[in-house]
Amino acid sequence: MKRYLTVAVLLLAAAVLFGAGQRESVQGITLVQNKPEIDAQLQNYGSLWTQNSGIPVTIKSVGGGSGADMGQQLRADFAAGEMPDIFVIAGIEDYKEWESIILDLSGESWNDVTSVAFTHDGRVYGFPVAIEGWGLAYNAKLLQQADIDPAALTSYGAYKAAFEKLNSMKTQLGIDSVVSMAASADMGWVTAHHNFNSLLSNGLPYGDLSVVNDLLAGRVNRQRLSEYADWVELLFRYADRTVLTTGNYDAQVGAFAAGRAVFLHQGNWVDPNMAEAKVTFDMGFAPHGSMHADTDGIFVAAPSFYVINKNSKNIEGAKRFLNDMVYTEAGHEFMVDKALMLPAFTNVDRMPTGQLSRSVQKWAANDKLYSWSQYYFTNEFRDQTLAPIYNQFAAGRINKARFIELMTVAFEGLK
Amino acid sequence: MAARRRLSMTFWIFLAPVLIAFMMVIIIPFFIGVFYSFTDWNATARTGGALQFVGLKNFTDSFSDPAFIHASIMTVIYTVINVFVINVLAVALALVVTSSLRLRNLYRVGFFIPYLIGGLILGYLWQFIFNNAIPAVGGFLPGFGFLADPNNLVLSRVGSSIAALVIVGTWQYVGYIMMIYVAAIEAVPESLYEAARIDGASQWQGFRLIMVPMIAQAFTITMFLTLVNSFKQFDVNYALTAGGPATMFMDKSIFGTELLALNIYRTAFVSNNLAAGQARAVVFFVVLVIITVIQVRINKSKEIEL
Repeated sequence: MKRYLTVAVLLLAAAVLFGAGQRESVQGITLVQNKPEIDAQLQNYGSLWTQNSGIPVTIKSVGGGSGADMGQQLRADFAAGEMPDIFVIAGIEDYKEWESIILDLSGESWNDVTSVAFTHDGRVYGFPVAIEGWGLAYNAKLLQQADIDPAALTSYGAYKAAFEKLNSMKTQLGIDSVVSMAASADMGWVTAHHNFNSLLSNGLPYGDLSVVNDLLAGRVNRQRLSEYADWVELLFRYADRTVLTTGNYDAQVGAFAAGRAVFLHQGNWVDPNMAEAKVTFDMGFAPHGSMHADTDGIFVAAPSFYVINKNSKNIEGAKRFLNDMVYTEAGHEFMVDKALMLPAFTNVDRMPTGQLSRSVQKWAANDKLYSWSQYYFTNEFRDQTLAPIYNQFAAGRINKARFIELMTVAFEGLK
Repeated sequence: MAARRRLSMTFWIFLAPVLIAFMMVIIIPFFIGVFYSFTDWNATARTGGALQFVGLKNFTDSFSDPAFIHASIMTVIYTVINVFVINVLAVALALVVTSSLRLRNLYRVGFFIPYLIGGLILGYLWQFIFNNAIPAVGGFLPGFGFLADPNNLVLSRVGSSIAALVIVGTWQYVGYIMMIYVAAIEAVPESLYEAARIDGASQWQGFRLIMVPMIAQAFTITMFLTLVNSFKQFDVNYALTAGGPATMFMDKSIFGTELLALNIYRTAFVSNNLAAGQARAVVFFVVLVIITVIQVRINKSKEIEL
């Protein structure tokens, strides 16, 4: 009897295991993305989506200043033969790197409701994750106390006057420094990516690559570079030295959130950080003052795109995942209310809750935008060549003339 | 005869899993790596990316790259200081916890615990201490105002940043090395000291002429471990300084505290030049093997047997 029982139990166990194995045979999809700040929200949305679609989805988040970044993760995955089904590209450089495995998405219906998808040679390849933007984020309350109108901050001259005034009122306003800026070794993306873009596209029509192409060919416009260097110097001079030379993202954003700096050199992705810090003051974006002429606009684009791996075992599932984000209520709720992103799709009518996201939306609605052109330069150039130059300038180890000289040499080396 | 063959068959069969695993995860990848260092491999799906032999180009490029040369120099400096500081401190601590001090076992645990914390976490932790805690202390301790000056931040200069790496590296590793010394010290027979005392030897003579030669075997191990670990330093370097601050070297602006391992990592994954990173890793390996072989020989020659 006992023996029969054992056999029965074994059979039952085998059946259960077999059944479990069967259930898992629905080919799951894997998504690797580079916004750790929305990881929890995306995980939630992913499991919700799995409940509806029956397709398991695994979400991995990388990047954000600590740990490997997106490209490193993908290269490691690719070398290991574990390329995810959906991953993120940032622009043309990334596209070229993965060109051979990126699926053509021209036939997807979400193309009808967006104008910022990633295209190459007339074909659509990338699903815009969100639109994002940065200018110089300002604390409206502090500006008001100092009687400065943020709308007037459109040129180097205006900023210089404003910074000087704010600096003289430090104790009155209760601030440590005028602007919260970071230039330490692991904050190279603030200087050599975002700030660098002011040199490339500020004041130019959207999509104008004239400066980019000149620099890539080693031709430096001395006037433009020198005005830009003035701007960098201004930001560094009125920044808190500790945050500037050794601070990390938390230190930089934290100083602004706590009202200890009037300006913050970051984009609307800090909205969740602001919500977390329970910030009560009003804020918005002002343009960068990297030129002596007026530049009335901020830098806005779809910074990253989901692309589908051509060799995925479940292409239909991956397509459906992206499609559902655009055409389901749950998708809208995730993008706007949960992840606090600015959706790149016109059929989404929810308003973002983050103040900076709203500010970006306002600038976009007025069509006062400048492009993101930093992606035309390789990661190596920005992170290994430019970032140390900014770092030295920030630490005061080189002066402005030397900064201009080193930048010029760097560009001439690109030929 | 047949029985003997069967025995040797059994021998190899039992050894096979280990041998196969060792081949698969160590030997084969190592040779593939060496192979890649002579190519332009970049591990991406870039079209037209067929593997091409480039000869010694990756090596010659590395030796003309200021960042690589600077990283090599910094690594040697860091290693020398680190090996010295860790070993001196570890011997001192080992003497303390093997003495008749009260609570010595508690100290043992205390000194060992940092070793159990991961280097990345340690890096962030100490970053906070250097960037925030020390200036805060300087802010309210009279006479230490200079600590609060942002220009004196430990991590804002190359020299003091390397010192910071040594401090954190030591803090993490000294407990582990101490344990090895403790084991060695406790293995020295008490009778030797007794005999020496009867002959009128002082405490210092007992230490220098009995304990040091008797624990020479431990020195071989600890020197080897600290040397290799300092040379391979990556996680604390990555988390604590990330290579910063930048400095000028050979007319180029580069990261001043980037040690070799971090430099290799960045060459491979930030600059997306995996073959060049691989070439640097091969150089790194060869240098490390030569240095450690010399070190072990020297140490071995000083060992004595009872």
